[in-house]
Amino acid sequence: MSADPMQQPRAANGRAPNVMRPGGWVPMCMHDDADEVDFVIVGTGAGGGTLACKLAEHGFSVVAMDAGPYWRPLEDFASDEEHQHKLYWLDDRLVDGDNPLVMGANNSGRSVGGSTVHFAMVSLRFRPEWFRARSTLGYGADWPIDWRDMWRYYEEVERTLRISGPLDYPWGPKRPAYPNRPHPLNASAIALAEATEAMGAKWTATPLATLSAPWGEAHPCVYRGFCVTGCSTNAKQSVLVSWLPRALAAGAEIRDLAMVGRIETDGNGRASGVHYHRDGQWRFQKAKNVVVAGYAIETPRLLLNSANPEFPDGLANRSGLVGRNLMVQSNQAVWGAVEQSVRWYKGPPSLAISEHWNYTDEGKDFHGGYAYMSQGPLPANWATTVAGGRGLWGSDLISEMEEYNHRVGLKIVGEVMPQESNRVTLADEVDQYGLRIPRITFSFCDNDKRLIRHALDFLDQGLERIGARDRWRQEDDTCHLNGTARMGFDPETSVVDADCRSWDIPNLWICDGSVFPTVGGVNPSLTIQAIACRTGDRIRELARRGEL
Amino acid sequence: MRSAGVSTERHAEPGVRALSVGAAMLCLSVLADSGVEHYRGLFRNRVMVVPLAVSAVGAVGNLLAATVHRGFGRIGQAALALTGASGLGFHAWNILKRPGGLSWRNLFYAAPAGAPAALVLAGVISALARSIDRGSGRAVRRTARFAGGVVSVGIAGTVAEAWLLHFRGAFHNRAMYLPVSIPPLAAASLAVDAIDGKPRPRTALLLGATALMGLGGVGFHAYGVSRNMGGWRNWRQNVLAGPPLPAPPSFTGLAIAGLGILAIMRHRRG
Repeated sequence: MSADPMQQPRAANGRAPNVMRPGGWVPMCMHDDADEVDFVIVGTGAGGGTLACKLAEHGFSVVAMDAGPYWRPLEDFASDEEHQHKLYWLDDRLVDGDNPLVMGANNSGRSVGGSTVHFAMVSLRFRPEWFRARSTLGYGADWPIDWRDMWRYYEEVERTLRISGPLDYPWGPKRPAYPNRPHPLNASAIALAEATEAMGAKWTATPLATLSAPWGEAHPCVYRGFCVTGCSTNAKQSVLVSWLPRALAAGAEIRDLAMVGRIETDGNGRASGVHYHRDGQWRFQKAKNVVVAGYAIETPRLLLNSANPEFPDGLANRSGLVGRNLMVQSNQAVWGAVEQSVRWYKGPPSLAISEHWNYTDEGKDFHGGYAYMSQGPLPANWATTVAGGRGLWGSDLISEMEEYNHRVGLKIVGEVMPQESNRVTLADEVDQYGLRIPRITFSFCDNDKRLIRHALDFLDQGLERIGARDRWRQEDDTCHLNGTARMGFDPETSVVDADCRSWDIPNLWICDGSVFPTVGGVNPSLTIQAIACRTGDRIRELARRGEL
Repeated sequence: MRSAGVSTERHAEPGVRALSVGAAMLCLSVLADSGVEHYRGLFRNRVMVVPLAVSAVGAVGNLLAATVHRGFGRIGQAALALTGASGLGFHAWNILKRPGGLSWRNLFYAAPAGAPAALVLAGVISALARSIDRGSGRAVRRTARFAGGVVSVGIAGTVAEAWLLHFRGAFHNRAMYLPVSIPPLAAASLAVDAIDGKPRPRTALLLGATALMGLGGVGFHAYGVSRNMGGWRNWRQNVLAGPPLPAPPSFTGLAIAGLGILAIMRHRRG
């Protein structure tokens, strides 16, 4: 094993780790800082990593930077919950508002491959109407992309990630069969199925980005349950093991442990490259185009931190919307206990899902929708949940943990409304690089609260009908991050256009969850990757037409 | 009714012996396969040991019938068929009791719907072998043609099961298409021969290929086991998680029975 990947870059000297083989390497193209590369991409997660692959395969020269380490999944991911915190972005941030966000585990990642290295692999398509939420459903904002266009790119991502999913998805327009068959259900998923059927709604096996059959050099899932951490078998199709090996093969360069601090502009309204910190020094990479893909906190932070006399309010911020409309997703749960042994730690945590309330509009006193999924928190996570959510401690906590194998739970991924007051700004404090840290302000609005109440009532009834006792509601959790650089139809009301190109600076692009005008009630990673695929194809098209 | 284990003096003709060998192979395949899979299911229901015992007896009985011409009697044959038939019932119940009932997911992961049918086939083929061995003239020709139909349907059923499970594995290796391409042709060709009573060389060729494929399938499945995390070093887990090693030879058993039927049809031609 090579030196500490958190201290010393692994992607260097013309090679990058081969994530499929212990100790293996693959060749990597290298560029000098002074080379004006076609694209420098900031961030290698669902947005940046995917786009790096697409652009490299379209023949552009690409340097993709990530502040995090380049992991070797087969060697670096111990089966230990605490150890795996190394995958989270835990740098200092200030959080405030009525519902200050807990940053780290389920909303950010600091790795080559981004938070997909520890994501829960839930890979869902948006409901088509959400792309026209304002005009068809009467809330939020419209997307400048047509759902049929997205449907094509969803399919591309699903094929690339070999999504394991049901043959007959119960909601929405007909979609092609998933490339891999669904995984078997664990007892936790069966509880969701029974509760949902008892409530008269439909459920299905969750489309998951973990292999149910071998693929390439990757093994199929072994159902060990370490799924919202790093997957040590490579069954999880993170960006690290799916898009990035392809990107490298197509000639992209990836720089790990490279923290971008500022985007430079040339005085003529164009970006000219990025200042980044690597190997203990600040350097400058020249580029014809800059893509920001740092997710909904770091993206606006970088744009705001890059303010200069030419763009005093930060880059791409003519509308004043950079950092605004921050959206999480509500992540509340109802938990209970059943007589039979459940052992919910087995297998991926969210093997079954119901999107009933994403696709049903009747019977709601709120805008938006939510999905809910079966759960399988690992022991330390569960202890934290009951200690925090129920205030259990000492012998109470111990006796609760003795019931661990009999717990069931249903948890939502709920839509929150875009609000300009939920935002990312810069605090005065600086981090280890001397960069101003973000201040993250978040409050649920009344609609968000009504959605949560509706969901918790529904789930509680469901669990009651399958005989779960000792039910309690976890009301404080959120997950995912979106918004803060929304795409739209015009420069006054949005930051980027449908191609993720900033209105203000034509060679500055934003390609991650920041561009979402609305979040919907599904996990965002599939949509982020689909947008990245679309952006890659659009950039090729624009280049062909000489419009870059 | 004569009891199991009745002996006669003469040697059976090669075709009849092939039928017995085929039935024995089916029994061995079921013995090993249900052994592994029911162990995986921790013999949660005590009747899960029954197919192991019955298929073991069936394997020995049919091998003796094939080699030293000890007849495998009606009781043994009935036990095989009955065990298989009730196995089908148990497996159907296992599928239907799960949430979603008769759904793709349950067909993939619940007890395999068609697997116990192999025991029914073993019992029926064994009985037909005995009846052909003891019969003569037109009756035998009719029985042989009927046996051809049985084996043809048996191969088709095995193809369906291989398709289902290889579809579950998303046909991730191109070799996974072999058992759903060669045996169907063999089954169809054998069916045609059985219908018009004319054994064709083409059918023998296809059945021979099916028999070899069944043996080769063990090798492919061994490779499939190695594709799981830890490979063969982690055999105690991966033999259970990977493709079933003993399953493909059931094709071989049926194909050998089919070749035996062709031989009988040639030998006893009008």
